[in-house]
This record gives sequence, C-alpha cells and structure tokens, in this order.
Amino acid sequence: MTVKILQRILLLFFFTISTPLQAVEKPVDIHLSFQPDLKNGKRVYEICATCHLPEGWGNSDGGYPQIAGQHQSVLVKQLLDIRSGFRENPAMYPFVQERTMGGYQDMADVVAYIARLPMHPRHAKGPWSDLSKEFQQGKKLYNDKCARCHGALGEGKNIGAIPRLYGQHYAYLLRQLELVHKGIRKVNPAMKAIVDSVPDDKLQKIANYVSWLAVPEDKKAPSLNWRNPDFK
Amino acid sequence: MANKINRRQFLQTGIALGGAGLTGQGVLADNSVQKKPATIVASGRFSAPAAIPVKKGPRVVIVGAGWSGLTMAKYLKRQNPKFDVVLLDKNEQFVSCPISNVWMADQVNLEFLTHSYVEAAQNNDYLFLQATALELDRDSKTLVTTLGSIRYDYLVLAPGIDYDYGRIGVEDPEQEYALRMQYPAGFSNHSEIMAIKHKLNRFEGGTFLMTVPAGNYRCMAAPYERACMAAAIFRKNNVQAKIHLLDMNPDIRIKADGFKKAFAQYYGDIIEYESSASITAVNLQDKEIETDFDSYGFDDAVIYPPVRAASIIEDFGLSDPASAQKEASIDPFKYHLLDDEYIYVTGDSRSQPFSKSGNTASSEARYVAEVIAAHANGKEIDWRSPQTMCFSGVRIDPLESMSIIAFYQYDQVDKTFAFDRVHLMEQWNARAGQAGLAWAEGLFRDMFYS
Repeated sequence: MTVKILQRILLLFFFTISTPLQAVEKPVDIHLSFQPDLKNGKRVYEICATCHLPEGWGNSDGGYPQIAGQHQSVLVKQLLDIRSGFRENPAMYPFVQERTMGGYQDMADVVAYIARLPMHPRHAKGPWSDLSKEFQQGKKLYNDKCARCHGALGEGKNIGAIPRLYGQHYAYLLRQLELVHKGIRKVNPAMKAIVDSVPDDKLQKIANYVSWLAVPEDKKAPSLNWRNPDFK
Repeated sequence: MANKINRRQFLQTGIALGGAGLTGQGVLADNSVQKKPATIVASGRFSAPAAIPVKKGPRVVIVGAGWSGLTMAKYLKRQNPKFDVVLLDKNEQFVSCPISNVWMADQVNLEFLTHSYVEAAQNNDYLFLQATALELDRDSKTLVTTLGSIRYDYLVLAPGIDYDYGRIGVEDPEQEYALRMQYPAGFSNHSEIMAIKHKLNRFEGGTFLMTVPAGNYRCMAAPYERACMAAAIFRKNNVQAKIHLLDMNPDIRIKADGFKKAFAQYYGDIIEYESSASITAVNLQDKEIETDFDSYGFDDAVIYPPVRAASIIEDFGLSDPASAQKEASIDPFKYHLLDDEYIYVTGDSRSQPFSKSGNTASSEARYVAEVIAAHANGKEIDWRSPQTMCFSGVRIDPLESMSIIAFYQYDQVDKTFAFDRVHLMEQWNARAGQAGLAWAEGLFRDMFYS
C-alpha cells in the first residue's frame, strides 16, 4: 500500500501597488506516492513516542488524542497541516518539520506505522450510555450531521482523509468540537459550517455518541496492559 | 538569625527609603528594618492606581512571567478574548532555565534561550508590565505593585521558587549571600546560570563540588544532567578535574539507571557520585561542605540548596502551614485559594507534589486558563493532569539526550497525587537530543510567537 501526499501549492502573482488587481492562480495539486517502510516508521515514531507514548493511545482526559489505528491519509493531513501552521499547534510544530522528522518518505513510513498500531481497548466514553435520552439525541445529531462523511460507524475514510472517529476519547472529541466552534482550530469550510450549525449545548451529545461507537475487535489491543513490543 | 530580613521587610525598607528621598542611608544604618512597618506600603506612592490602560473586560492579573504565567496569559485570551490580561514580571526579558545546562556546554546559543516579553504580549494581545508585586488586599481585590496599584477580577500567582538555605544549615544572611554570590545554584535566574557557565569553562582543575537538594526541588533531573555537562566541558577543555556530586537523596531521583550508566560509561574518571549526603553546614573559609558523616573539600562549587515556594506566597499570607516548602494552600484540582475563588496559585508555588518543571507548569497553565474562563461563565470543567516531560543531555557534540514523560493521577485513598503512565527513554541518542531542542522550541513558539 502506498501513502499519498497531497501538496497544495498556491502560486501568487503580485502586481505592483499601482495595479489594484491581484490575480490569485488556481492551486496546483501534486500527488506523490511512497512505499512505506515500517522499520523506518518505527524509528521515526520513537520521537513521536516521547509525547504520544509507544502505544499512541492518547489520554482519557483529552490532553492527547488516540492516534493509533487512524487512517494514514488523515495522519498525513494533520502532520502537513501542523507543519504548515494551518492547524495551529506550536508545541508540535518543530517536531513535524523536515529537519526533525525527516522528509515525505519518513512521514509516509511513520503514518503507516501508526495506522497499524492496535487501538486502546477501553478508551474514555462520555457520560451518557445508550439507554439515555442524551445518547439518543446525540445519535440523531450524528446521523443527520456527521455520518455522511464520517460513516455511520464512525469509520471515516482513508481516501479523502476523513478521520476515523471511533475509539477517540470523549474529552478530546468535545474539546476539538468546541475549538472548531470558537474558530480556534481551523478545519475545512464544510466541517466548520456543520459544527457551527449545531447549538453549543448539543456538541456534548454528539461527542458522547461518537465516544460510544464500537471499536471493531480486530482493531483493539488484546488488553489494557498491552505494551508496544517495539519499545521494550 | 537576628539580622535576617525577609523579603517583605526588605522591600518595605526600600520603599520607605524611596519615600524618604535622599535621607535613605541613615535609615538603613539605624536598624529600622526590624520594626514592623505596618502600612508604609499602602500609604506610599505605590498605592496610587497604576497609570495603565483602563480595563476592557474582566481583568486577570498574573504575577510571574515564567512558563506558567506566559502560558496562562496566552490561553486566557484564547479562551475568552474579552479578558483583560495583565502579566507582571520583575525581569525585563525571559531567559529559559530549561535547556540552560546544554547551553553551558555550548550546544545552543544564548538567543535560543532568550525571548521578549514585549513580543509575547504583542502576539497574544495582553499587557506586559515590568513590575514587582508588593501587597495584596483581597477585600478590595487590589494588588499593589512597583508601578502602582492594580484592581483585579482574577489574580493568578505564578511566582516560582526561592531557595531555602536554612535547610542546609545556612541561617546567617552573611553566609547565605556569600553562597549566592560565590556558589550560585543556577535554578532561579539567568545571572546565576551565566556565572556557572563561566565558572565551568574557566575551571583550571581540582575538585568541583555539586549538590542535589532533598525535597521537591525544581527540575528533578537537572542536577545530574548538569554533572554530565560539566564533565563533558572539563574533558573538552582538557582539565584535570573531579566532580563530587553530593546528593542529599538516597538515590538518583529520576532516570536513575540512565544516569548511573552514563556516569560509569563516560564519566567514570570525572564524576564521583555520593548518595544520602545530608548537608549540615558549609564552611566557606576552608571551602568545605559538611554532611552527617563526612566533610568534602572543594576548589569550586555549584551549591543547590532545597527550595520553597517564592516568598511572596508567604508574604501574602497564602502559605499552607503544613507545607514544608511553604507552598500555597489551594484546591488541588481548581488551583484557587480554599477561601477565595478569584485567586489562583500555579507553577512551582502550587501545593500539589507535581514535578517543578517548565513543561509541567505550561501544561498545567493551559488547563487552569480553562478553569478560570469556565468560572467566569459560571461553569466548571473536568480535571486534566499536567504533563511532566523532560529531556536530559548526557553527551555533547552532538548532543545526546534521554527523556521521560509522565502524567499524574489522584489517589482517593492516600489523598495525594502519584505518577500515572510514565514512559522512560533512558537510551540516549542524538535524535532524542534534537527532540529535546524541538520540545523547547515548540514551547517558546507557543508562549512567545503564536
């Protein structure tokens, strides 16, 4: 399997001040494919693991997301967005620069490695279980607003870089939704419009429902005590 | 003992001098410092309102522009742009304590460590004032500073640490200040750190003594890292030197296997490590340190005494009487004073037993900024653990480091916090060395440039 990296290059032509018109050219899309090398991916991941830990399971309190098992293209998109500054994450910024993590091949290698990590067997769920009114409200909102892109099971899509949502910690989901709502986390306009169409107090219910979406058994680590053997 | 001047008395004396104009010298000579100056400050010129812009929203005043205060200022504005944030520090610019050990060994330059408060304020839309906090009046929610008094809606105290020389048997100010000048610890300000760098690089040989304090001192791994850096410097400079590393603790406090291996593998001929060395006295004349069982001579030294919460916490009457390090009495999850939800204490003056380090303070401040923003909205948020992360340099040229990351969880039975998931990477290498620098660069970027 190859990892595709899409780079958008905006070519801007600047006119002199006396010319009020500024022509903005259309973006040029460049598709690059790399055959991932998991051994090198593990080597690159050592640096990631200093914060994300060898398992990449994130924190139940939402300080870190679960990255294990995420789609490769989603991971690439986040790395590139943070590298370019589009997704503001100053603390992570230096780590994703070429001088620290390496070039596109290294990026392809590390996302392939992360995508293959087994997921947290018991990630943090929201406060309302499936018998509650809130759970049902969240389910309806999710199916109306989110499922079309993210999938009814929250599986996302590698093509199109739609994040896999199942397995994500409740607190992380909620904080990200709130950050998008406040305009602090930048996302694509379609996602932003949808989040903005949801009243503030409903975000919790969506995050709650998403956090209860089942993680397929074959994606989970065998137990909570599982430790990434590459880091023994 | 009789001549001990605490910070408040010292400041008030200074203020009295200022108020008395040119008659100052006589005042000092007549021992007036011993009298309780009561309301000198409040009645002095400092109690007049500071000539700063009028507040544009709920005013949050932050005392101390270290890792906690800087992060707090930025994220308070992020959480609620209506907050009118005022950040105070007695220094005019920021020089990082983290990474300073590897700076001593020339692995980064001074510009890497040095950052502008003005730029941080500019980029994050708050006000920076170079001022010292003097008095707190909680009834009128007023903080008196060297620029005048400032009314606050919320007050955050993030003043860091002070040294506690008393805990190594140094009570006399003469001796304490001799130690501060000649053998500075290098964990509270950059003048000390610079003096140590020059000391290490000019050392001509003999015994160089370094100490590791007991208690929850600032930057757990740093004294051991510093021994590695010092040894690397001596070797590079071809100096015949022995480093006597006197540890007041029964064992290396953190990354113990890594440091032991590093001492043995690379610096066996230079570093002599001594555990359980309870320092009882320092004899400056003979250049000797006394412990319970022994005494150690030295040619030069870096003496790191135990630490306590910055004395302003005690001066403002906020210390927890049960705290050995005079830390503030605060709610362990919300960080406000137990009897005042408008005053918060964060960073190394907190009472929780978290590691006193930059990353801990910064990650904590992001959370507390959310606590305060929620409080202003009549809401509460769930507790999040601070994150302790630290890189320790072992070798230089290129820098090779090891790292640790840890979180905390509250033990309901013991009613205290303990380390949660700890991830130790004790196998040092050059990539971790670079990662350590990337870590610092990322947080400087966070606090100052974005």
